[in-house]
Amino acid sequence: MKALVAVKRVVDYNVKVRVKADGSDVDIGNVKMSMNPFDEIAVEEAVRLKEAGKVSEIVVVSLGVKQCEETLRTAMAMGADRGILVETEAPLQPLAVAKLLKAVVDKEQPQLVILGKQAIDDDANQTGQMLAALLGWPQGTFASKVVVADSKVDVTREIDGGLETVALKLPAIVTTDLRLNEPRYVKLPNIMAAKKKPLDKTTPADLGVDPAPRLTVLKVAEPAKRSAGVKVASVQELVAKLKNEAKVL
Amino acid sequence: MTDIRTELMTLLNENRVRTDADSLGQYGLDWTRFHTPAPSAVVFPRSVDEVAAIVRWANQRKIGLVPSGGRTGLSAGAVATQGEVVVSFDLMRAISDFDPVERTVTIEAGVVTEQLQGFAAEHGLYYPVDFASRGSSQLGGNISTNAGGIKVIRYGLTRDWVMGLTVVTGQGDVLRLNNGLVKNATGYDLRHLFIGAEGTLGFIVGARMRLARQPRNLTVLLLAVPELDGIMSVFRLFNDGMPLTAFEFFSEQALGHVLARGHSQRPFESASPYYVLLEFEAPTDAETELAFSLFEKATEAGWAVDGIVSQSEQQAKDLWRLREDISESITPRRPYKNDISVTVSKAPAFMRELDAILAREYPDFEVVWFGHIGDGNLHINVLKPEDMPIDAFKRECERVSQWVFELVKKFDGSISAEHGVGLLKRDYLGYSRSAEEMAYMRAIKQVFDPNGIINPGKLVP
Ligand SMILES: Cc1cc2nc3c(=O)[nH]c(=O)nc-3n(C[C@H](O)[C@H](O)[C@H](O)COP(=O)(O)OP(=O)(O)OC[C@H]3O[C@@H](n4cnc5c(N)ncnc54)[C@H](O)[C@@H]3O)c2cc1C
Repeated sequence: MKALVAVKRVVDYNVKVRVKADGSDVDIGNVKMSMNPFDEIAVEEAVRLKEAGKVSEIVVVSLGVKQCEETLRTAMAMGADRGILVETEAPLQPLAVAKLLKAVVDKEQPQLVILGKQAIDDDANQTGQMLAALLGWPQGTFASKVVVADSKVDVTREIDGGLETVALKLPAIVTTDLRLNEPRYVKLPNIMAAKKKPLDKTTPADLGVDPAPRLTVLKVAEPAKRSAGVKVASVQELVAKLKNEAKVL
Repeated sequence: MTDIRTELMTLLNENRVRTDADSLGQYGLDWTRFHTPAPSAVVFPRSVDEVAAIVRWANQRKIGLVPSGGRTGLSAGAVATQGEVVVSFDLMRAISDFDPVERTVTIEAGVVTEQLQGFAAEHGLYYPVDFASRGSSQLGGNISTNAGGIKVIRYGLTRDWVMGLTVVTGQGDVLRLNNGLVKNATGYDLRHLFIGAEGTLGFIVGARMRLARQPRNLTVLLLAVPELDGIMSVFRLFNDGMPLTAFEFFSEQALGHVLARGHSQRPFESASPYYVLLEFEAPTDAETELAFSLFEKATEAGWAVDGIVSQSEQQAKDLWRLREDISESITPRRPYKNDISVTVSKAPAFMRELDAILAREYPDFEVVWFGHIGDGNLHINVLKPEDMPIDAFKRECERVSQWVFELVKKFDGSISAEHGVGLLKRDYLGYSRSAEEMAYMRAIKQVFDPNGIINPGKLVP
């Protein structure tokens, strides 16, 4: 069975992002870019399924600028077999990403598509769901456990008040949550081996998809600055502050 | 006792003089746990003038003062055991007068290391002196111990970043030493005497610090190294091959303590006796490729058997934790620490002989190896068996230390590479300093602190 994993290149989790002076976007000039952490989990899960003999081939797909190749190489060093870059300079929103992925799925015909539940840059949490709708496939979102058996996949999801397990008929979409697994480190020899794995390039035009944004960003602003803490001298003073200043009592 | 308190309260306002048992216990100790704290008071000055007033008072009163920073020191330098007054810099945390052209900034002694690192980052710069206690240690303490840490191989010691100092001497004089000048050929640079003096000549009250450019895309490699000898072979290979920002090592035993805390995953499927962590800037692919080719050479030679490379800042951080969490993970075991150094070229032979001594003398103790080996600096930590009383344990470690220090002396090394001497290593100073040198040190102490007020009993025997 073939698995397809989508990986996004995002601003590194540890970078303190700054908003551009004109408020149009965050400034990503010269900042460290890495694989979206939820996508790392998706790649890891696919590799584990392959190691367990459930998956025979892993294809990773990334959409965006040329440097997304690095993200694909990382995924291949983790264990994916080949990569596809849908290259475009255009800003991509979830619907466009889902349409592009659908086009890739139509070509590749995987039985399982694994995506991160969201990307840490826009926190949209939409692509997996939109892709499932476009394909008409079942979806198991926020997976904390994935079990593939015969022609179905059981996905355990963390929901309010406990765990829910859904059984999906393949082909299916799975999106990963934080607790699904702990991604492996990349071995140096595997980085070198990954350079020799095939990486195909295509474009939105080749795939017949118009990626133009449907939403307009009005403004991007910094979160309000937190004011410094103060020490109170007594319980009374604390209670008074909670009542009068914080107004929580 | 009460008059000390009353007298101090005329110098500082009331709530900045503490004599309650909790404060005395807390501020009477640093990170070491071999002494019983017994200061008579803790004071929290807010300005140079207040510090000077306290020193003048102590000179009249003939009472000892212990300079106290973040109290993360590992040599009992900030420990008060004989009724001294502890002078804490906790309330002096201002950062001011940032100059982006010179890349310098003025700090008060109580500024925490991480606070300065954060300030630098906000201005697109970098304060490169860094180690695991960054969240608590203060610049005053860093300067007084000439702290080193994990980036020395590239950025040097704290000394290299101090452009000026404001000090209050043991006599109560305020000196402003080298106000930020790069060049200043006017005789003795007293600034450098105060750096690394462990608070025995006076107080560091403020400093002008230099900041560096931010490094680009720091990338971490972790290598599995099967033999002790291989560590320095890997070092030579990489250090000759490319500019490194860090070169650290640790043993499987050390890693075991970190993993037992449950915050980190084992880096390789199988254990390796030793690990090397190295770091470099990788602004382009070329640096990474170079590192890979060096790694290939290391594996061909059999010095390394496996390797990992960080793919994100998060992974770099996670890998660093394997090294940086060692000290904290073994703290509950009351480790006896040897912080020793030799020149890098002597390190392989030194490590071989040291290994033999430790195996012979500590057959029953757990000995944990790690350190800034790229600087020739080893941290040898001996862990206390659970059922052994602390005094008996310390005696046994001191017995073995004689052997270790004899070896250090034979190799012209240092018995304290970066943690300082304090109370803990004072009686061993003779292994690294000659009798004549120590006589000069005592004479210098006498000049700045004729009444022996400041940090009495520390550093100079
Ligand atoms: C987990 C851990 C890791 C560490 N790693 C390293 C490392 O890699 N490299 C390294 O060099 N050290 C390391 N240390 C040791 C320690 O953190 C450093 O020595 C640090 O510089 C001490 O700073 P501090 O403010 O805590 O000083 P303190 O412990 O408070 O004091 C240290 C000495 O400086 C004197 N002093 C403090 N403030 C002043 C002042 N304002 N004026 C005059 N004298 C003063 C004290 O009297 C004492 O002698 C580590 C410690 C821990 C706990």
